[in-house]
Amino acid sequence: MSQSNFLSFKERNSTLNGTYPFIKLIWVFLVAIGLFIFQTPISGGIMFLLVLTLALGAGKISPVEVFRSGIIVFGLGFLLMLFHFFINPGEVVWSLGFLTITDYGLVIGPVFFFRLSTIVLSSFVLIWTTDTRDLMTSMVKAGMPYRYAYTIFLALRFLPLIQKEVEAVQSAHSIRGRAAGSSFAHRFKLWQRYVFTILINGLRKAEVTADALECRGFGYSEKRTYVKDVHFKTADLILPVITVLILAGLIYMEQTSWKALLGL
Amino acid sequence: MAVYTVFNVAVLVVLGLIARFTDKNLVEKEASGYTTQNLVMVAVLAAIAGVLNTGIGNLWYLANTSLGPLGGALIQGMFMWAYILAAFIVRKPGVALAFGIIEGSVEVLLGNAAGIGTLGWGISQGLAIEAVLLICGYSRFGLITAILAGVASSQFGTLWSSVFYGWDPAYSKDVWIAVPVNMISGAVFSGLLGYVLAERLAKTGLLRSSRKK
Repeated sequence: MSQSNFLSFKERNSTLNGTYPFIKLIWVFLVAIGLFIFQTPISGGIMFLLVLTLALGAGKISPVEVFRSGIIVFGLGFLLMLFHFFINPGEVVWSLGFLTITDYGLVIGPVFFFRLSTIVLSSFVLIWTTDTRDLMTSMVKAGMPYRYAYTIFLALRFLPLIQKEVEAVQSAHSIRGRAAGSSFAHRFKLWQRYVFTILINGLRKAEVTADALECRGFGYSEKRTYVKDVHFKTADLILPVITVLILAGLIYMEQTSWKALLGL
Repeated sequence: MAVYTVFNVAVLVVLGLIARFTDKNLVEKEASGYTTQNLVMVAVLAAIAGVLNTGIGNLWYLANTSLGPLGGALIQGMFMWAYILAAFIVRKPGVALAFGIIEGSVEVLLGNAAGIGTLGWGISQGLAIEAVLLICGYSRFGLITAILAGVASSQFGTLWSSVFYGWDPAYSKDVWIAVPVNMISGAVFSGLLGYVLAERLAKTGLLRSSRKK
């Protein structure tokens, strides 16, 4: 099973699934902003654990889903942490030839591990618990012009069609020549042909789709109705409000004690 | 970081001015406002680029996180060919930026390994192309403009990479060493490739937008 099988929206009877989609998007941005402000790994680590707990508890995401979806990201975060161990200036604590690990690198490395991991994990929480159609509806209700929100939705709607197009072109090329076991140069040429064919077919479909949309009066009326509506509840604000309070608390702790504790 | 930001903005302006005074491919400015056809084309291109870029992105993230700025520089320019293509097909102000945001959103929702951070690259790279085209008055769409817009977007995108991955140009020399590599990568993989694809698409005569010209 590939990563994408685990990383997709599923209907669950969870608190996060029932939260207003636009509020969840704001929450993701709040988490990201907080992670960019944090200067110690303690705050990043706490935030990572909180987002993970939220995903498992309020989102009812299984640990297997989290692990299978996040393994690449956590791996990349780990590599980024190692890179910062070596690249940052400071007192040398270990060296082997030209490779040196500094004390500042050891502190700042985990900051970037948690930054990358937590931002991506919160984005994944949004994907796991939010139907894209609901997200677009909530964005339009929040004031985003319908035509632009629909463009994003349409791009996502085209994804499976493009996937099928790729498979069809690959099959057509396989019938006409050798595709498997051929050289890199040959494969590169094939790739070029795939992309060009998919582009042509995709853009022709776009023209037809645009005509069909205009025939149906797309964007004619300012007032919009929805097949599946989403409704905002005041209780949905609990998520961003608590997040802001936690972020403020962590930033305060950083400034008053954690930075001094870590010698920053 | 302030010096690096100023440097990147200066690069944009210089590249825009070079494009304005050297690209002789002057075309009539398109009427502003997006038609439904423009929006759907952007959506389809964003979907195609989103799928391809998510795949290439994993390789780029691996190179960047393990080797730093120099690691990903060689393939830094491989993500913006579709921005150039969209800007050269639609030829209206704001298309590159809108494309960057939509393509970035598609990547986020596809589960890109940078999460919501992907939008940062979409915005910075889209803005860079907009800046070059703005200086050209949105009326020069030749090879030179395409290549310079590719160079600009590739280089300007590193500004977000530096913020996101914590590469401080003040002590990380790699950020500066990677500049020419980023630029060459952007010129070839974004500018040249985007322009060639736009030209080949126009030659097929299949697209209504190209038949008009």
